[in-house]
Amino acid sequence: MNQTSLESFFSDVGRALGTAGVNRSAETVRRYAEHTMACGDIVPSGVVYPASTADVQAIVRAAGRHGVALYPVSTGHNIGLGSKAAARAGQVVVDLGYRMNRILEIHDKLAYAVVEPGVSYQMLYDELVRRGDKLMLDVTSGPPQGGMIGNALDKGAGYTPYFDHFGFSCGLEVVLGNGEVLRTGDGALDSATLANWHTSKYSFGPILDGVFAQSNYGIVTRMGVWLLPRPPVVRSFHFTFPDDSDLGTIVDLCRPLKMSNFVPTLFRVANDLYLCGSEGESPEYAASGGERSISDEGRRALRAKHGLGAWTVSGAFYGPSVAATEPMIQRVREHFGQGGKATYIDHADAPRHAALQVAINAFSGVPSLGELGLLKWRPGGGNLWFLPGTPMDGAVANEFQTICRRIYEAHGLDYMVMNVCGPRFARGLHVLAFNRESAGERARADACYRAMSEAVAGRGVFVGRAPIQYHDHHMAQTMASYRDTCGAIKSALDPAGVIAPGRYGIG
Amino acid sequence: MQTSFSADQLRDPAIADADRVLRTCVHYGFCTATCPTYVLTRDENDSPRGRIDLIRAMLERGGAPEPPTVHHLDRCLSCLGCQTTCAAKVDYARLIDVARAHIESNFRRPLGDRLLRGFIARTLPHPTRLRVALRLGGFARPFARWLPGRLGAMAELASDRARAAPGPAAGVYAAAGERRSRVLLATGCVPSVLGGHVHAAALRVLRRHGCEVVVDADAGCCGALSLHLGREREARELARANIAAWAAHAGDRDAGGVDAIVVVTSGCGTTLKDYGRWPGGEAAARQGALVRDVTEWLDALGVRPDGSVPRYRVAYHDACSLQHGQRVTEAPRRVLSAAGFDLHEVPERHFCCGSAGTFHLLQPELSRTLGKRKGGHVDAVGADIAAAGNLGCIVQINRHAATPIVHTVELVDWATGGPRPEALAGMALRAPRTEAVPPAHTDHPISPPAAGGDVGVW
Ligand SMILES: Cc1cc2nc3c(=O)[nH]c(=O)nc-3n(C[C@H](O)[C@H](O)[C@H](O)COP(=O)(O)OP(=O)(O)OC[C@H]3O[C@@H](n4cnc5c(N)ncnc54)[C@H](O)[C@@H]3O)c2cc1C
Ligand code: SF4
Repeated sequence: MNQTSLESFFSDVGRALGTAGVNRSAETVRRYAEHTMACGDIVPSGVVYPASTADVQAIVRAAGRHGVALYPVSTGHNIGLGSKAAARAGQVVVDLGYRMNRILEIHDKLAYAVVEPGVSYQMLYDELVRRGDKLMLDVTSGPPQGGMIGNALDKGAGYTPYFDHFGFSCGLEVVLGNGEVLRTGDGALDSATLANWHTSKYSFGPILDGVFAQSNYGIVTRMGVWLLPRPPVVRSFHFTFPDDSDLGTIVDLCRPLKMSNFVPTLFRVANDLYLCGSEGESPEYAASGGERSISDEGRRALRAKHGLGAWTVSGAFYGPSVAATEPMIQRVREHFGQGGKATYIDHADAPRHAALQVAINAFSGVPSLGELGLLKWRPGGGNLWFLPGTPMDGAVANEFQTICRRIYEAHGLDYMVMNVCGPRFARGLHVLAFNRESAGERARADACYRAMSEAVAGRGVFVGRAPIQYHDHHMAQTMASYRDTCGAIKSALDPAGVIAPGRYGIG
Repeated sequence: MQTSFSADQLRDPAIADADRVLRTCVHYGFCTATCPTYVLTRDENDSPRGRIDLIRAMLERGGAPEPPTVHHLDRCLSCLGCQTTCAAKVDYARLIDVARAHIESNFRRPLGDRLLRGFIARTLPHPTRLRVALRLGGFARPFARWLPGRLGAMAELASDRARAAPGPAAGVYAAAGERRSRVLLATGCVPSVLGGHVHAAALRVLRRHGCEVVVDADAGCCGALSLHLGREREARELARANIAAWAAHAGDRDAGGVDAIVVVTSGCGTTLKDYGRWPGGEAAARQGALVRDVTEWLDALGVRPDGSVPRYRVAYHDACSLQHGQRVTEAPRRVLSAAGFDLHEVPERHFCCGSAGTFHLLQPELSRTLGKRKGGHVDAVGADIAAAGNLGCIVQINRHAATPIVHTVELVDWATGGPRPEALAGMALRAPRTEAVPPAHTDHPISPPAAGGDVGVW
């Protein structure tokens, strides 16, 4: 990408979108370069702000003409995974969120919404509340200003029965690398009226939606999101367990409850630092200069201070009334009470612990800021997410705990993990909090991530999502035919390679 | 964020403070999405991070700031939306105060600017002068729409509120029935002129709920207005006078000390609660700790409605000073629900209405854009009444929304035996809904779905 072609690209885009559509100011470019990962800033060539699908087409076509690489973001809050930063320096960020932020439709009867990329969790939540609060959106426990499209395309997840954000999306509009517009699912019908675009996922022909998640084959400009009728009562329950090794027991207790879907939400099984970390800074960081992990005594003191366990498990029931949920609460108390190690915290008491209020909000589809406190556990703003998973087998979960805990400690970092448990599988959200302003700590965080990635891959476990810094690293862990297939799709849909080359290790 | 102040610069306590705050900013960027000016302009220099960078460069360089820096810092509303969203808990409030004071002492503004700011600083914090100014301004009001930007905004302010009901006279008012607590009702400067009806409502409600209420004649402006204009010295003088005037009330309870200093204007409440950080010694800290928003105090006492007011739909607007400055969000909602109203949330509740102290006078265009946006959201709720806990917001939303707006305490007063709020006089309100309220499902009570047509079965 040379300077002349860049200039021609920006002048073409300026002509098509108007001057408000292009921003190349030094401050802006510097800002879009920032992220929380362990590598240096990734400086883009500029930022463009489309206001419509036609604008996106114009941008993609101009990029194709001039050989310029683009990087689309929607709300741009991919914190710990890349923020707004592009896959590679010099790409042009297509910030869809600024001007494409309309809620296009809310279908109250069929319970779905159709949104543009800039619609955030907070915006859709506010609108649903305004309409009478009949429908519930599954949200993340991360930034309320993050949004449905970016999150779903990165295979993000929440905690209610509609937790799988890509799974509960339905019907995409995509601008492909050649500038053509594609409608997926029932939207593929060549018709002016589309009755089932956002109601039916599986339609005639191959399911194309999937290729647009964690890839770089197109820019999504519209998406349907399914919504759950809001339950009149959400009643959470929480149990603390005293020992690190109790994770295995918890996983084995959660499995049957999810297998039969007796508990409708996912389980949040969080360790002491994940919960206490949201409420304050590491008490030992200053003393060790960030060189060592927090001590066991330090962890015990935090647990005592916050009244939480080495592991705390949270879930919730939905029902027509508090009374109707009572027998289920009794059943779940008996269940977790087996073995005598669990301490129960009930729904009314839980909000005393800010971290448990985060869980209640997540189960209730209410966006909230509480968990962002995690990022302040260490100073200097470094944050990476390592996102492997385990089968829902207690012994295996404990084995992975031992491996990762040891690697964190070997790198002087603090083991902060939440396992989000379904019936067969648990995603392990591993937070790496580090001081990004310290070169040494940055290097340790990077080495820690890579060491864990190798260790779990050696035992047959892959990650579900990754910081952009590691997309090439993880793609290199896949089999050759997988890489070839991804490459072949890229050549077919984006022959000039204009959309986010390098994202998820493709192109 | 790294800084590079010299040892000499760091001897200045304000710079040392700024340095401490600047170092905590790690550029996560959550703040940008909730900053009203950035959302409107997408200009990095109109974002919290951008402003933090500008402040760092300005203070490190010292001396006269660059005009563009002043331009972007002047456009900050001090709404503190950024502070609520910030994961690194950057004390932006302190930083922008230091920056404003630096600009005020080191930058020569154009003549018109100087005159306007001087006029505001010399008038608003002084009730007598403000009354005179409003009366004179009243004459200009019919011409407001033809007056340019800031003059027009000034003339608009001189609304018929200039003739607003006077507030309660100084004195000690006995509790109705058994005395449960003794409180001081802070009346302040602008609020004492424009908010007499709100103070009167607060007085009635507090007495009705067992408070003996002291209304004090000696206290004046809390200092917030001057502080936000960068006139730190004047702000401190005003604060000092206030602290001295209240010294007796903030003392030992046995010696006539109060249980709380109750504030009805949250803009003032934020500054008053912060007195502990000002150099006023122990007395200031004690007073700061006694300050409560009126809804916090009523929430603690437990509101007792008399059942005479129907369950009207109320859209509650969070004033920035309450939700971001003081982090008081639940108490007003609980109090309104307890008073028997059908509470509704306003979309984009984290966003400023554009009133922001003197901002609406100094930046009328931005203020109007934000006012219209908020007004639209308030009307979209479809409520009968809107409520807020800050006078500035009430005036602003009144200007931009069709829904009538009153102070939260006026509604509580009405529901517990007081008169119908003046702003609702002669207004026909819809018949309220009658269905039962299921238990709240979140940390704050939200109204249940309208009857009929339920999407799911539970
Ligand atoms: C404390 C904390 C807690 C968190 N909790 C959760 C959680 O519970 N669940 C969860 O999923 N995440 C969580 N996250 C991670 C992350 O912050 C969220 O997933 C966030 O929603 C992602 O950012 P976004 O929605 O703004 O998406 P964006 O940043 O807009 O998009 C993400 C990526 O998707 C691609 N993309 C975006 N839009 C398009 C498009 N239109 N077309 C093509 N490609 C596109 C881009 O590569 C982009 O970088 C958490 C983060 C933190 C710091
Ligand atoms: S105080 Fe308000 S206007 Fe100022 S930077 Fe923060 S969010 Fe933006």
